[in-house]
Amino acid sequence: MNQKYILKRNDRKTAYIMLLPIVLLLTCFVVIPLIYAIFVSFYEWSFYKESIFVGLTNFKRVLKDHLFYKAIWTGVKFALIVVPTQFVLAFLFANLIKSLGGKLSGFIKSAIYIPYVISGVVASIIFIFIYDFDGGIANYIIGLFGLEKTAWLIDVKVVLGAISVPAIWLGFGFTTLIMLSGLNDIPSSYYEAAEIDGANGFQKMWYITIPLLRNIFMYVIVVGITGAIQQFDLPFIMTKGGPLNSTMTPNLFIYNHFINDPYLGYTIASALLLFVLIGALAGIVFKLGNSTKSMDS
Amino acid sequence: MIAQLKRNKFIGLLFAAIIVLSSILSGCSGTGPGGEKASSNEKTKDGKTVIEFWCSWGDSKKDYFEKWINKFNESQDKIVVKATYIAGDAWDQRITAAQAAGTGPDVMTMNYGKIAYSADQGKIKALDEYIDATKWDDLYDWSNKMVTVNGKHYAYPFNAEPGSILLYRKDFFKEAGLDPENPPKTWDELIEYGKKLSTDKHYGLTAAGTTDDLAWSHWGMQAMMGGLAINDDWSKATVNSEGNKKLFEFWNTLYKEKIFPKQMPGLYTEIEPLVDGRTAMMFNGSFVFDALRNKYADVVDNIGVAPLPTPDGDYKKTTATLGGWTFVVDGNSKHPKEAAQFIDYMLAGDPEVMVDFFNLSKFSSFTGRKSVDAALEDNEFAKNDEWRKMIQEKVLPYAIPEPIYAWDISMSYANALERVYLKGEDIDKSLAQAEKEINDYIKNNNYAGTNPNKK
Repeated sequence: MNQKYILKRNDRKTAYIMLLPIVLLLTCFVVIPLIYAIFVSFYEWSFYKESIFVGLTNFKRVLKDHLFYKAIWTGVKFALIVVPTQFVLAFLFANLIKSLGGKLSGFIKSAIYIPYVISGVVASIIFIFIYDFDGGIANYIIGLFGLEKTAWLIDVKVVLGAISVPAIWLGFGFTTLIMLSGLNDIPSSYYEAAEIDGANGFQKMWYITIPLLRNIFMYVIVVGITGAIQQFDLPFIMTKGGPLNSTMTPNLFIYNHFINDPYLGYTIASALLLFVLIGALAGIVFKLGNSTKSMDS
Repeated sequence: MIAQLKRNKFIGLLFAAIIVLSSILSGCSGTGPGGEKASSNEKTKDGKTVIEFWCSWGDSKKDYFEKWINKFNESQDKIVVKATYIAGDAWDQRITAAQAAGTGPDVMTMNYGKIAYSADQGKIKALDEYIDATKWDDLYDWSNKMVTVNGKHYAYPFNAEPGSILLYRKDFFKEAGLDPENPPKTWDELIEYGKKLSTDKHYGLTAAGTTDDLAWSHWGMQAMMGGLAINDDWSKATVNSEGNKKLFEFWNTLYKEKIFPKQMPGLYTEIEPLVDGRTAMMFNGSFVFDALRNKYADVVDNIGVAPLPTPDGDYKKTTATLGGWTFVVDGNSKHPKEAAQFIDYMLAGDPEVMVDFFNLSKFSSFTGRKSVDAALEDNEFAKNDEWRKMIQEKVLPYAIPEPIYAWDISMSYANALERVYLKGEDIDKSLAQAEKEINDYIKNNNYAGTNPNKK
């Protein structure tokens, strides 16, 4: 190890002190509640009576419920629509912004970032108007092309796609900026060298840009997938999970049980199972991308 | 090497210390879930008992509650009620978190549907020993039943509202050559009127259009057709019935004949599509009277109300379920006597307190007390209120309480209906699937015999 990386004792202390607040907060609000949740998931938890130990009953109930699997599958489908679309759009926009100079790129950057700061609730309401059957702009636009009006929020075939649009719109500004920062990090000398060797635009993209953005891609995909599977506001406000549970994302499913069940056992068990599942999914994505190590090291 | 070990030990200790410290901070006792904890047992400096009251009506009727809570606080010198108003969306999170931490209120608002389970789990206290027997005699049979679990009263009714009635635009009726004073009574009439009222400008009829809304707003119609989706002791699905088959056919016809729009213009409880003329008729609850009369007073004269049409036009069938609100005393309250005294004052005492509420909400809901109805005899508005009269005569006496079985069961029903009108699935097949889903639910959750009202 390089000499300069060996910390002095005092530096180490400072580092621990700096870590202390976040470790304390994480312990308070993540570690302890999580351990406690695992603990109570084995009980029929009651705040007023003695809780009854029920072993794995809560988990069995969740695992026997076909709607739980359907909710997970809906979350995955939603992620499969949102993440790739967002990814491609963001990659194209990032390259576009990089190639543009000065004021125009600044304007586009802010313009595409604005949706990211809009709350999901507000976006849902805007899109409810857009998807209105008779007065909505979506049906007006497809009407211009001579197509028949669509019941966007009721038709089982299109509804998941319909609620994906606001999700893509909300998230792709952030993804673009992350990709742009990754692009700006690639030394221009690489491209210059490639140019001398006679590489064309596609080859530069394929052999330089994409490999060097791999960590960025990994980050964008993992954050995108976990975020999309956990989507809540859009289906909660726009469709309440329907029709026929086709927009019932896992978090909305868990929330509905929290609101409607007289006991909390099912809710806690399903939340823990979802936690394990999302953790596993993130692990798989990392493994597939073989990106546990940074490309630089 | 030794330095390394020491360092690891130091880190270990540090983290252990952090975990212990944060456990203390987050108030985690570590002795197992549950257990009794004190709710508020504060006293004011002058020795008055503080009663915490959580109210889910904050957004619309806060002034009303403030007014009468102040009057209660002034009316005696032993109790001070402190109210917290929590918006509907945040209610479940707030109350569950507070109950888990043992910091729940002494008195809270609760809807009828939650009473039986809460009583069964000890979340709320029986009120018989704190509230005088004559106060319970003042209740109508139906309201008395709705707050009674296994022979004891666990709540005092605040109001009740039928969840499904027919509202319609009289002006559109006239335009279509229909008699505005003679709304449809049978299903066939509804279909016939609906066809005449569907124009380029407005839909014929709107109703629940999301799974969620269908799940609860159809309870009344299921009861109209002979029964709910599960039997009384919750041991068997009863959803696959002749009655439901007819109901599904009827609902499907409303779509096929284009009386319903393909996509409903809003959620079930929204009155706006009727107010702004996007629909000529609407299924909704009586709770919309409040908005109609307070917010959209200019269109009120154009709006008529009637019971939901029934297959043969007989209104003496159930057409609606009754929802609504009560006050309850928390199971862990340290001052149940004082808490009940407050409930007694607000809901069971001088009828004027309740008259004031019904006046403010423009009679959008109904009292469960005979004496309040008697007092309303002197109220000019109430006396001449045709809507109120219609509901009291034709809806309330035949209404049933909202069922309390698992939401999953109501969702199975709603999904079955959606399969029919959205995907064109065969009605028999769809109902058979719902039956199987509900029976599976009963089996997987050991659900048979768990109805707290039938234990």
